[in-house]
Amino acid sequence: MAAGPYNYSYIFKYIIIGDMGVGKSCLLHQFTEKKFMADCPHTIGVEFGTRIIEVASQKIKLQIWDTAGQERFRAVTRSYYRGAAGALMVYDITRRSTYNHLSSWLTDARNLTNPNTVIFLIGNKCDLDAQRDVTYEEAKQFAEENGLMFLECSAKTGENVEDAFLDTAKKIYQNIQDGSLDLNAAESGVQHKPATPRITMNAGVQPPNKEGCAC
Amino acid sequence: MDQIVNENVSAADLKKYEGLYLEQQRRGHVSERTQFDYALCLVRSKYAEDKHKGISFLMDLLRSSSDNQTMRDYYFYIAVAYTRLKDYERALDNVEPIFKLEPNNKQAQELKTYIKKKLKNDGLIGMAVVGGAALALGGVVAATIAAVKKS
Repeated sequence: MAAGPYNYSYIFKYIIIGDMGVGKSCLLHQFTEKKFMADCPHTIGVEFGTRIIEVASQKIKLQIWDTAGQERFRAVTRSYYRGAAGALMVYDITRRSTYNHLSSWLTDARNLTNPNTVIFLIGNKCDLDAQRDVTYEEAKQFAEENGLMFLECSAKTGENVEDAFLDTAKKIYQNIQDGSLDLNAAESGVQHKPATPRITMNAGVQPPNKEGCAC
Repeated sequence: MDQIVNENVSAADLKKYEGLYLEQQRRGHVSERTQFDYALCLVRSKYAEDKHKGISFLMDLLRSSSDNQTMRDYYFYIAVAYTRLKDYERALDNVEPIFKLEPNNKQAQELKTYIKKKLKNDGLIGMAVVGGAALALGGVVAATIAAVKKS
């Protein structure tokens, strides 16, 4: 890896969790490629995506781990929660069961991440309003009771998808600014990158992205 | 794909799922789930021996499976394990069957592209080594001829 100026100053690690078929991979795809992926097969284990965004004129690289929703992968997917700065917890507004399972996803997220991890609740498939099975108000209340950020999105139309990812990053950035997120903590899920290449006194070349990364 | 292939399992997880596996083995029956969980830790271990063990566990599961989706998952992780072992030929052999099960699987396509790139790089390095050796040998031969002529 070539040492050079990074074109971003922070790396935030995200995870996307939720039941099978709620559209986690499609949300990731819509966010990274700005396209809707129809007929997406169930994810094998985990998928990975990145995108560089800008918050308060700071460039931030999001490293996003999209986990399989299938129960049989739970052992694997749980190992990716550690050190996540943001967790997007997704349900499908047209399938009540995916909403009912949120408390179990939330328990996992709370147990396996750190107290500062920003958890963002996403009600996906809001383009299918005619088939709605969970009201906006109800989910909003659930989010408020549990201190979660919340939006309804559509991976298909792209509605609110950017906002969900960006608002999570803004919240993480805010936590860094007000000091509630300690960058030196082992599993903060955030890495700070110098904007210019650091000429280190010790001769060893430090590969970027390795240090302090739980991946 | 680099991130997926190069991710190592934590020692704690490996130990935990090994423990569950050994416990069931002691009782005389290992469930598919337990073997699968342990196998996925093994293939993500940094030790070659563990990866090989993971592969044989997954092949074992593959033989007794008739469900397309679980077979797809086994092939994928066998291919990941071989990729981690830098055995790219075998890795490719195990990616291909996924396309028979799911012709447009994006993850399998990405893995295939990744393996092919690695194969090509290895080929280039191999050629460079052989080329370098040939040059060196040529130099030795030329020097010997020159020395012989001189004397």
